[in-house]
Amino acid sequence: MIFAHLRLRRRVGLLAAGLLDGREQDDVRAHLAACARCRAEAHAEAEALGPVVAALESDPLRSAEPHVPASVLAARVARAVAEAPAPAGRKRFWLVALPAAAALVATALVLPPLLKRFRPEPVAARVTIPPAEASALLSEDALARIERNLAREQAARYLSEAGEVLVSVAATGIDCDREDDRLDVGAAPERSRELLEKRHLVADAGGEAVASARGVLTDVELALRQVAELPACVKRRDVELVQKDVEARQLLMRIRLMTRELEG
Amino acid sequence: MARLAQGDREALTPLVERHYTRLYRIALGYLRQRDDALDVVQEAFVKAFQAAGRWDGSADAGPWLSRITVNLSIDRWRRNRRRGQTFSPLAEGDHLEVLAAVGPSPDRGVHRREASDRLAVALGELPERQRAVVVLRHYQELSLAEIASTLGMSLGTVKSSLHRALHHMRATLAGGES
Repeated sequence: MIFAHLRLRRRVGLLAAGLLDGREQDDVRAHLAACARCRAEAHAEAEALGPVVAALESDPLRSAEPHVPASVLAARVARAVAEAPAPAGRKRFWLVALPAAAALVATALVLPPLLKRFRPEPVAARVTIPPAEASALLSEDALARIERNLAREQAARYLSEAGEVLVSVAATGIDCDREDDRLDVGAAPERSRELLEKRHLVADAGGEAVASARGVLTDVELALRQVAELPACVKRRDVELVQKDVEARQLLMRIRLMTRELEG
Repeated sequence: MARLAQGDREALTPLVERHYTRLYRIALGYLRQRDDALDVVQEAFVKAFQAAGRWDGSADAGPWLSRITVNLSIDRWRRNRRRGQTFSPLAEGDHLEVLAAVGPSPDRGVHRREASDRLAVALGELPERQRAVVVLRHYQELSLAEIASTLGMSLGTVKSSLHRALHHMRATLAGGES
């Protein structure tokens, strides 16, 4: 009995606010008939909220008519639609995602042999030759060439990883909150932050070796900053903003071309 | 909607005619600025066209359009807030004709206008989702289940949000009167 009272008492306020119906409403009403204290509470609640509901229901904006005729709005919408891209759907999504994925696959196929060619010797192998001896064995030109190749290799890898992050955001179709139209971008924000931390090592320390990549690196940095600010579960329109920005800057194509150039 | 999903722009006109006033009242109830409300509704239809391919076609488009409108209204509200323009009483000319038409005397018209302004402040102080629930309930007269479906919330959350919102508004309105 006491439990029923405690359970139903919590709903007295909801009943007074008109938020119960059906069996729930019947149960609380039956309880009110037997509980004077609850009746008093319901009465007080109704008195308190009644004026608020009355104020809302007498608001003239409830019956406001639009000040622009429907035909005019329809024309405006049609014009806006004509200026905008075709219906999104999943088709348009894949128009972006597929070429990007293909580019990544191509990069993945081409990059490893090239990286292998320029990959530095394992540390253990290098330390067996003291720097002085190495200098004696290698000319200054040869050392400069190696340093240059390493800087360019590092920049290529950085761009490739950044490209992966951007594609993973642009191509995500995984709903994390369907009701709120949110998409899961997984670890992309975190990876963006990691890449941004490494950026100066690539751009600044790379010096003249990566001079031609500065424009792409700057645009990649801007895009990564956008992604870095996203939560893991992000509104679809925010994903679309990143996607549009990447498209507008032709960033994936430029990353691909620059990666090839850096790889020699 | 099926025609929209195929990219048929001719299908826009009947869709606009059918849902325009309802969506306008949602946006106006939320934002209380008619130009903003109109912008939001226009954007909602554009979004609907662009996203028509993702609509599964299994349900009425009404709740889906309402949800887009609510979300866009929230976005517009946030943007206005950043610019310090969130609030509140209707600007001169905004539905003055509606406010004036409801009372036979000038005094009553003034009173109605003041009441509307107080209501705007009370609504404006609610958290975003609570305000959306109030607008759908009291400006659209949707059932609690319909609100839950429109906003993607549980029925219990809708009830508790609405209950809290009414109490919050009561406190604000009472404060404004003192």
